[in-house]
Amino acid sequence: MVEMNGSKALFEALNAEGVKHIFGIPGGSVIPIYDALFDEKKIVHILTRHEQGAAHAADGYARASGKPGVCLTTSGPGATNLTTGILNAYMDNSPVVAISGQVTSSAIGTDAFQEADMLSLMLPITKHNFIIHKVKDLPAIVKTAFDVATAGRPGPVHIDIPKNTQNEKADLKIPATVKHEKVLKMQPTPGEIGRAIEMLAHARQPVIYAGGGVVWSNASPELVALAEMVQTPVVTSLLGKGVIPEDHPLALGMLGMHGRMVANLAVTECDLLFAVGVRFSDRATGDIRHFAPKAKIIHIDIDPVEIGKTIRVDHQIVADAKLALKGIIAGLKSHVQRGRTSEWVKRAEKLRKELAPRTDYDEVPTKPQRAIKEIMSVLSGDAIITTEVGQCQMWAAHFCEIKNPRHFISSGGLGTMGFGFPAAMGAKVACPKNPVINIAGDGSFLMNSQELATVVENEINVVSCILNNRYLGMVKQWQDLFYQKRRSGVGLGKVPDFVKLAEAYGAWGGRASKPSEIAPKLKEALASGKPAVLDIPIDPDENVLPMVPAGGRLDEPILT
Amino acid sequence: MKNRIFSILCQNIPGVMMRITRDFTRRQINLDSITVGVEPSGLARIILMFRADDHMAEFMQKVLTRLEPIIKVDVIDPEEGVVRVVALIKTKKLAGDEHWKVVEKIERAGGKIVDSSGGAILAELSGDNEEVENIINALGREIVTEVARSGRVYISKKIG
Repeated sequence: MVEMNGSKALFEALNAEGVKHIFGIPGGSVIPIYDALFDEKKIVHILTRHEQGAAHAADGYARASGKPGVCLTTSGPGATNLTTGILNAYMDNSPVVAISGQVTSSAIGTDAFQEADMLSLMLPITKHNFIIHKVKDLPAIVKTAFDVATAGRPGPVHIDIPKNTQNEKADLKIPATVKHEKVLKMQPTPGEIGRAIEMLAHARQPVIYAGGGVVWSNASPELVALAEMVQTPVVTSLLGKGVIPEDHPLALGMLGMHGRMVANLAVTECDLLFAVGVRFSDRATGDIRHFAPKAKIIHIDIDPVEIGKTIRVDHQIVADAKLALKGIIAGLKSHVQRGRTSEWVKRAEKLRKELAPRTDYDEVPTKPQRAIKEIMSVLSGDAIITTEVGQCQMWAAHFCEIKNPRHFISSGGLGTMGFGFPAAMGAKVACPKNPVINIAGDGSFLMNSQELATVVENEINVVSCILNNRYLGMVKQWQDLFYQKRRSGVGLGKVPDFVKLAEAYGAWGGRASKPSEIAPKLKEALASGKPAVLDIPIDPDENVLPMVPAGGRLDEPILT
Repeated sequence: MKNRIFSILCQNIPGVMMRITRDFTRRQINLDSITVGVEPSGLARIILMFRADDHMAEFMQKVLTRLEPIIKVDVIDPEEGVVRVVALIKTKKLAGDEHWKVVEKIERAGGKIVDSSGGAILAELSGDNEEVENIINALGREIVTEVARSGRVYISKKIG
């Protein structure tokens, strides 16, 4: 036991968790914590320029590293500015620990200056949240917060710390462990494994559908091993991109509204859908009545809530994906399954080649498909791609061939424009040796472009490639396709000169006006030794096609 | 849509009810009854009643079980235990024969007179929801002016 105030104890607890970086902004109700930060030796604080940027950066940090990302803000507006980022992390199961100062306990409820009821505001958008009124509770709560954020299905946790708790002194000790009343079922049962093996053995046209749960469980090696063992094509969700190298012969790419046609056809035709770490999002399934209509479905997920939520399943395994896949692989070894290169796999491989989307456009302005191809031509497998949201995101999902998990970071569930740039910043802080590229649209980039100041100040050398079509492109696409081309509220008109914008902040700015300029300019940006913005004007009329309309059937996409 | 009863064991800390109720609100489910008590262990026991189809009831059980402060959610079959509500009723001012008739009716139905010093009768009724409802209806809304009713309380017949 050592006497210390709550602020000092907070950093002791964060050190015990191995926290190395915090993204945040100070304010009136969090000054004691920032005062303790002044003496902190092991934790680097990165001052973002907006709290939303801090939340997304912590989220990007968590997704790239697999470790919790931490953000810190003041009360009131500082804390409410976190909410979009926290919900974003919640929807995509990212372990973010968000901490905010709060007005003094006795002032809570009096509408004090910069008071916001964060316990209520954070409650529906976190895995769990706390307020710490007594400093004696702080060490155990911080420990619990990290445990909850990372255990089972990961997710964000918010801790609200009133100013009196930050200042209050007590004899405190950071506990090595805390007791949890909840028991998580991590291990599959032999019965669950056995039936899955039987179903796999009897399937003639199986497909594996893998998602973010495989990433969080670090089960990518097992997933690839299983796919190879039973010679089964793999489709992924957006958040599953990279769990199997996308140049693998069995990888069919992403499924869903903007999925690869081959992936959507494979799911429609399969007789067994082996789903692991996915939640059957409406963007992935389309019309659920026609989703995998011929298939028996196995669903492996650590969260029982996800099983049977929207899709009826024939067999469920509530378990950690890695443990379940290991169990199935071990069981399969005694089965005759090896080397089954069926007609089904050959057909999938053939369709994959035939239906491969075109990228060899030479037009000016550049077609976005070609733009991404050029960007990827400069990068190797260690590059981490983040995306903004909308058309740029779906083009990235289509044309970025990702080889490793945690190398494609995108806002899936919430679809948060403005996520990609601060997330790239977080990913770069977590993985300083990897090139980090944010594939952005002009609309999304402007939603958190203030973080250019942060990346320049802290020499976080990420490159934002802006696919600039001067539109909120995905909405424009829906209006073109489903609202008789009545383009309402989507024209961005005179967008800023992104080269000058970058330079104004002290970043590298460049423009690639035709396809052949993209690769050389990107190389220049990467070699500049600065954060960079590469403006790529693209064809404003290009849409993301094929596309399955909302609620439509996966096998009935709009082609043109 | 059937009547459902959940018996929820959870930490006895502020905010648990809010976490629970918002999960119902969001899915447009109306809670018919909420009762909270503290168990000898110090944990809280919440009894919830609502109407939902089988799929939604199963889903809500899993959704609530996922909440951090909740330890266990049991789906109750009313047949396996005892469900009770308690109601306190107040009558209008009664005198003479009418007073005694009402007292007799309440006592015959198993109710208990709690107070009648002011001329009105305050009585305590208990039973399953229907029984309590029947007594109140038998007395008549002319006579009964106020009803304060508890949520359902439940205890299982199982031993151990």
